[in-house]
Amino acid sequence: MRSNCSLNTYDTRTTILSNEEVAEAHYLLRCECAEIAQHARPGQFIHVMISQGPGMLLRRPFTIYTVEGDEITMLYQIIGAGTEQLSEMPTGAPLHVLGPLGNTFNLTTNPEPAILVGGGAGIASLMLLAVVLREKDIQTLGLVGAQHRARLLSVSDLESIGIAVHIATDDGSIGHHGYVTEILTDLLRETQWHRPTIYACGPHGMLAAVTEIATDFQVPTQIAMENRMGCAMGVCLGCVCPVRIDTDRFEYQRVCTEGPVFNATDIAWDVF
Amino acid sequence: MDATDLSLNVNIGGIQMRNPVMTASGTFGYGSEYVNFVDLNQLGAVVVKGVTSVPWPGNPMQRIMETPSGMLNAIGLQNVGVDGFISEKLPYLRDFDVPVIVNVCGKTVEEYLIVTEKLNSADGVAGIELNISCPNLDCGGMSFGVDATLAHELVTEVRAKTHLPILVKLSPNVTDITLIARAVEDAGANALSAINTLLGMAINAETRKPELANVTGGLSGPAIKPVALRLVWEVYKSVSIPIVGMGGIMTATDAVEFFIAGSSAVAVGTANFVNPQASMEVVKGLHAYLKEADIGSIKELVGSLQVDPPTIA
Repeated sequence: MRSNCSLNTYDTRTTILSNEEVAEAHYLLRCECAEIAQHARPGQFIHVMISQGPGMLLRRPFTIYTVEGDEITMLYQIIGAGTEQLSEMPTGAPLHVLGPLGNTFNLTTNPEPAILVGGGAGIASLMLLAVVLREKDIQTLGLVGAQHRARLLSVSDLESIGIAVHIATDDGSIGHHGYVTEILTDLLRETQWHRPTIYACGPHGMLAAVTEIATDFQVPTQIAMENRMGCAMGVCLGCVCPVRIDTDRFEYQRVCTEGPVFNATDIAWDVF
Repeated sequence: MDATDLSLNVNIGGIQMRNPVMTASGTFGYGSEYVNFVDLNQLGAVVVKGVTSVPWPGNPMQRIMETPSGMLNAIGLQNVGVDGFISEKLPYLRDFDVPVIVNVCGKTVEEYLIVTEKLNSADGVAGIELNISCPNLDCGGMSFGVDATLAHELVTEVRAKTHLPILVKLSPNVTDITLIARAVEDAGANALSAINTLLGMAINAETRKPELANVTGGLSGPAIKPVALRLVWEVYKSVSIPIVGMGGIMTATDAVEFFIAGSSAVAVGTANFVNPQASMEVVKGLHAYLKEADIGSIKELVGSLQVDPPTIA
């Protein structure tokens, strides 16, 4: 995966246009960032300064959920003090947004159809991709997993662009009672979905399971990784993940620069 | 800014700089990463990520953790090695009119010497900064920087191998930083960088695990600024070579405080992660400060702390 970081990266000072709870503990934030909107590609992310004081020092990385004109949205889960503070910020509050950052999903040489596998807020990383796949008229299926019904994300957004969605919840409150990876395995056994391309983002365990399934069925799979980040510009080396360079060796690569998108089978899952 | 304005010019241990604002090692990559946001030609100097005799793989994840007003890191000096630096990274920097200072690390004296000798013959290196906070494998892993004798030996050996200006980056994790500062000055250091990160740790109360895979890490950011100012002040009073002050500088006002404490130059570090343009803003802000206060040269600020004499009851 080639990095195209930096040249078209902008540090934008903007304000929040809206910031609403769309599912339990999940928010959709909208802001105007014309240059970022213009250059954003599927898989890329933004690095957002939440606090204006030094107490909460670092920015937080979020995937770009949608782009519409000069506006971008981010769909995020409250997972700590930073996202909690962000969720409380009202319309009009200032926001520093750096982006777009990172590499992109590679759409050039992949077999069709496409299967999107999103776990929890991970589906947010696949929405821009979903739009581009549909623009290219590629048959696309969405597998969306959540802990329970109240935390289910993005189903109507996917359906509105013509993507059929299969749902799985941990407690069975809606859809398949279990994991999205179980639906994925069943699908790959059907001839209709033979030799697709998988694009996935979600919790670590889900991505490791998707990689195993992809290996078994020999399906090319790209995943968007997440990590704590410092600079998001490739400098601090804080966000690395282990990537295989041959059968018994790996190196630490930056999720912000060499990623966030990696070939699933390149990740050295046993090193985590 | 007026290019003929000399008010910010400084000379740090033989390295002439157009202004006293440098980048702190490890927070600015190899110079190219921030080129969209920073005109390297407007910086005093670029201090690049630490290099070692061979590439280092770095530490496992997690490597960083935010803490109140700061961050902990335990990157493990992942770097391309001195050969990779010279062939892949240095050519890019040669295109700019800015002194390049190379941060040098090693686990043994020998490793420092290998890197130094290779940098001697590389075109485009203005000076070296010795990171003496690395663990010394010949001394049971004790850092060179916490022992005056070890630090003196290391700098003496490197001094004998190079005519390049040597900056020594002091560790704050010591009982008396002035002992180390004087030892490395005596061994031939041309300038001091103060300070490196403060050792710290963060614990997850739910899992009872450390937040960093390495358990401990280096604390940086505004949280350490008061400690850094105090250490710069102490070092300033005990040596005669210039000090590059660093530790939590986010703004020009922070930088001014470091000059008043005794720094002859400053380095912007963690702030780069938060605001890619931080170093440029410090340059502009210093310029504005001098103009506003009608000070002809930044040198007039150095060590200008006004301490009131004790009142006699």
